[in-house]
Amino acid sequence: VLGNYEAVIGIETHVQLSTSTKAFCSCPYNYGAQPNTSICPVCMGMPGALPILNSKVIEYAVKVGLALNCKLSLSSKFDRKQYFYPDLPKGYQISQFDVPIASGGFLDVDLPVEFGGGHRKFGITRVHMEEDAGKLIHAASGNFSQVDLNRAGVPLLEIVSEPDMRTGIEAAEYAAELQRVVRYLGVSNGNMQEGSLRCDVNVSVRPLGQLEFGTKVEIKNLNSFSSVSRAIDFEISRQVLLHSQGEADQIVQETRLWEEGAQKTVTMRKKEGLADYRYFPEPDLPAVTLSDEYVGRIRDSLPELPETKRRRYESLGLGMQDVLFLANDMNVAAFFDETIATGADVKSAANWMMGDIAAYLKNEKLSINGIKLVPRELASLIAAIKTGTISGKIGKEILLELMSKGGTVEGMIEENDLVQIVDPVEIEKIVNRVLKENPKQLEQYRSGKTRLQGYFAGQAMKETRGKANPELLNKILLQRLT
Amino acid sequence: SRRFAAKSSVLDPPDVSRLAETARISISPEEVEEFAPKIRQVVDWFGQLQAADLQSIKPALRAADAEGDNLRDDEPQVFDNRDAMLSEVPTYEDSYIKVPKVLNKE
Repeated sequence: VLGNYEAVIGIETHVQLSTSTKAFCSCPYNYGAQPNTSICPVCMGMPGALPILNSKVIEYAVKVGLALNCKLSLSSKFDRKQYFYPDLPKGYQISQFDVPIASGGFLDVDLPVEFGGGHRKFGITRVHMEEDAGKLIHAASGNFSQVDLNRAGVPLLEIVSEPDMRTGIEAAEYAAELQRVVRYLGVSNGNMQEGSLRCDVNVSVRPLGQLEFGTKVEIKNLNSFSSVSRAIDFEISRQVLLHSQGEADQIVQETRLWEEGAQKTVTMRKKEGLADYRYFPEPDLPAVTLSDEYVGRIRDSLPELPETKRRRYESLGLGMQDVLFLANDMNVAAFFDETIATGADVKSAANWMMGDIAAYLKNEKLSINGIKLVPRELASLIAAIKTGTISGKIGKEILLELMSKGGTVEGMIEENDLVQIVDPVEIEKIVNRVLKENPKQLEQYRSGKTRLQGYFAGQAMKETRGKANPELLNKILLQRLT
Repeated sequence: SRRFAAKSSVLDPPDVSRLAETARISISPEEVEEFAPKIRQVVDWFGQLQAADLQSIKPALRAADAEGDNLRDDEPQVFDNRDAMLSEVPTYEDSYIKVPKVLNKE
């Protein structure tokens, strides 16, 4: 598809911060609340009302800036971005224009194994604070629209990437990593479907080797990481096709919408020159000043971030597939870390979590914190199987109990008499009994049907309720049969 | 980008039509002619600031702040007179503020 062309992709992400109140007033924000129930003179833009910055917004902005390896502006300011639109009560959005709180950072990303894997480092141009607009709903019929100001004034962080991505997958993974980071930091639930994580992408193509960027096209209306990927791939194809047909001038700087149903981008509006937002410093808000001590305190409070976790898991000897799974959700990672902290075998812990536990979580629609199993007991389970106290098969059954009802491995083994039978004398007794009780099958075995060994083993397992050690059982069985 | 006053102090005459357009204020061509010199006069009055000696002054981020941060704790407080505000809305229907359909942002 690409041939002699290279795609250049940049992403602008808006992250809705999960503070209890809005950016400039004390109104609470609850997704899904009745329209226009969380409003006050400040966020409604009433004349005379003044904004007062929520201290948590700065804290979250610094957390994100540090997590994205940015340089922080110890002194930054707010500016008014002026334009008229029904969902913008004041007629301007309080934002940061030329002095953002953070800039010049980068994000480490590991591409999924199924897409070829690989590590990427994408530049972050800037991170700045701003407020969200209200919600505008266009009536399907009729010449009017409806405005809900519940969301007006909710704090946002705008994160602008360098145009470093080259494919739809790279862009989708960048967005997924941003989601991972803001969730790890606890600053946002980063939900694309809910609108707490919004991505607009810019796509252009240029002939390989050319330094100049091609015409940039913006794509909006991306509601999932997969649509980010597919929309970009479509747009790249569209632009490359036009180039190859000698119609590159048909590519204009514009905003296009991704249509999920038709799986294509369509023109939304042609950009009529650059918008003039008449930025000027917000006179109603003082400068934002950060002390080294404040920044240091926040830096020390940061959790281990996904990239650091992935490198640590790699150094433990885990393969990339396991690493990506375990580090994806911080609660899963914490569970895993606690399990191996008590000395459990790393690979076993990973296998149980990616296998039986993950399947259970999926079936029961639970998160790792919703099951009754605790890391200490997973470690006990792994140890019990390792020492041969119980068989792997019994282990799976115990796991199910532990996840759904809780309890301890030790308790369950005792209560249900699950200790594996490893005494050869005991097993020989069982084998003899089974052979005696099945003379017909024994006769058939002697006359050549050697596959019946499996039948005898099954019967022995049934009698011992699965407790006979499989290897020992088959060894002794084979001895008795020959 | 910021323009430093160190260069020429001659400003372009105000483009009153464009200013009115961006501010969404409708004025007649006569008013444009009338207002342009008046606006120019006001801007020139601010031109007194050009006399200040800025040689040894570092550019400020914004006008000096009297006090420090003026920050608020992240504690919710429901505004207790929503009705008074909503009664000011020209058309408030079905819990929404009803507005004309505008599809293109400025």
